[in-house]
Amino acid sequence: MITVFRYTLRRYRGQIIGWGIGLALLGLLLVSMFDTIGSQTDALNEYLSVFPEEFTAFFGDFTDFGTPEGFVGVEFFSYMPIIIGIFAVMIGSGMLVSDEENGTLDLILSYPVSRTALYTGRMLAFIVASVMILGLAWVGLAVPMSWSSMTIDLDVLALPFVSLLAQIMIFGAISLLFSMLLPSRGMAAMAGGLLLVASFFITGLAKINDTLETVAKISPLNYYQAREAFDGLNGTWIAGILGVSLVFVILAWMLFRQRDIRVGGEGGWRLSLPSLRRGAKIKESA
Amino acid sequence: MSDELVLSAQGLTKSYGRVQALRGIDLEIRRGEVLGYLGPNGAGKTTTIRCLLDLIRPDGGTLRVFGMNPQERSVEVRARSGYLPGELQIDPNRTAREALRYFNALRGNNVDWAYVNELSERLQLDLKTTIKNMSHGNKQKIGIVQALMHKPDLLLLDEPTLGLDPLMQREVLRLIGDAKAEGASVFFSSHIMSEVEAVADRVAIIRKGVVVEEAEPTSLINRAFRRASVRFKQAVDIEQLDKIPGVHVLSRNDGTSVLLQVEGEMENLLKALAALPVIDLETERPSLEEIFLAYYEDEGQEV
Repeated sequence: MITVFRYTLRRYRGQIIGWGIGLALLGLLLVSMFDTIGSQTDALNEYLSVFPEEFTAFFGDFTDFGTPEGFVGVEFFSYMPIIIGIFAVMIGSGMLVSDEENGTLDLILSYPVSRTALYTGRMLAFIVASVMILGLAWVGLAVPMSWSSMTIDLDVLALPFVSLLAQIMIFGAISLLFSMLLPSRGMAAMAGGLLLVASFFITGLAKINDTLETVAKISPLNYYQAREAFDGLNGTWIAGILGVSLVFVILAWMLFRQRDIRVGGEGGWRLSLPSLRRGAKIKESA
Repeated sequence: MSDELVLSAQGLTKSYGRVQALRGIDLEIRRGEVLGYLGPNGAGKTTTIRCLLDLIRPDGGTLRVFGMNPQERSVEVRARSGYLPGELQIDPNRTAREALRYFNALRGNNVDWAYVNELSERLQLDLKTTIKNMSHGNKQKIGIVQALMHKPDLLLLDEPTLGLDPLMQREVLRLIGDAKAEGASVFFSSHIMSEVEAVADRVAIIRKGVVVEEAEPTSLINRAFRRASVRFKQAVDIEQLDKIPGVHVLSRNDGTSVLLQVEGEMENLLKALAALPVIDLETERPSLEEIFLAYYEDEGQEV
């Protein structure tokens, strides 16, 4: 398991560096902008007051935009689940199936490595990679704060990242489960991505439309804290999201243990989607 | 070769949806034995091998490798086996050395690296080259090295010489011979008859998911028909030869020469020829390839 973990983490190097450095640079940019924006708070508040309710529903409360927490909450954490969610969906859906589709899993599982060990090693690598990416993003916000007027306690700054990590876990786990249920990695990624976007919109719209409140309760992003995390994490929400993630991870593990490892599409299935190719029917009947 | 049974399959069945890949495979391999598993594409060779390693789960039948059920003790079975897949895929961004080090790590770092170097030298494999820059044949060499490097008790090779040049094909057959000499059992699938004939102690011919023949290559060849080419001093009545039981005229030339196919004993033919003005008689055994093709002739399958 340790070997699988080590090699998988090594394979995620590019993702860790790319996502981590990217988010860190975004943090650096935002902190640098805060000094300029902070000096024009009154004008900015007047400008933001005309923003429609629908806008604030998705990007958070603008009333304390001039404070460090409010600024970072709106400009960084409000939309971060949808950004980092892409990473979670891509890694989750491809954790095992991408190797299965390219044929390398066939050889790896001919070695004295149990499916459980392979699964656990890769899952651990995903968790560690996620923590490292969020860690780099945290550094990207924390370091420039030392020369900026933006001041947030470093441990408090970590709180929204904890909430974000829980979201990565659930979308990664859902996508992993989809990859065990659906015939291809592409379909699993598509299903995971759709769920991510749907969750974002349902959660946002539920704030302005009461009828969506019930649906929003099953939306993972309903339990995400952006700006709110600075005032204290909701432990129940975090535990709930991680608990549900664990259920999905266990279900995916059970399916992986039982299933055939496919090569060349054997044992797979396809959805009978209508062909979009012009003249496809004519060709087939010819 | 000892009597110790290394692998046994009885009534092994496996379906992919409506496609029945295996319809009741019965096989046995003993310690130190080389079994050539012959069959055309899609006959079920790869499916059989993948069941042995628990990569896929059979629908029915019993399977024992080293006396263990691969579904229950897959890790122990794999620890003592070396596998070369038919369609080998390795992470293309690694060098051959990095890939082999990874495989060694998956085996708990118990591989003698000097032996890896020896195998690489014998196969003329450059370990420093990145896999994506390698030819198909060189990738196949990595596959062969990784299957052999831990000196397994059982080698499962799916078309081991695929993509290799004739010199390397011969070297791979030597490596299989060496493994056998050290007591390893080898189960290898192929549709290249000459290599099976060269190294296999026994051959099993699979057709549509069933083993239709299992025997030693020489016994299979001896049991089968042979060809006889006869030349006569003057034209004779060839029809009389066609009436001999087990003799079939394949071609004739003005009654002065004839090519015959003889099934079973030659006695009746020789008695008939004794009365004719024979100046030359040549007989030849069919190759394993011809025997193999005969199993598929009536099916009209591409081999």
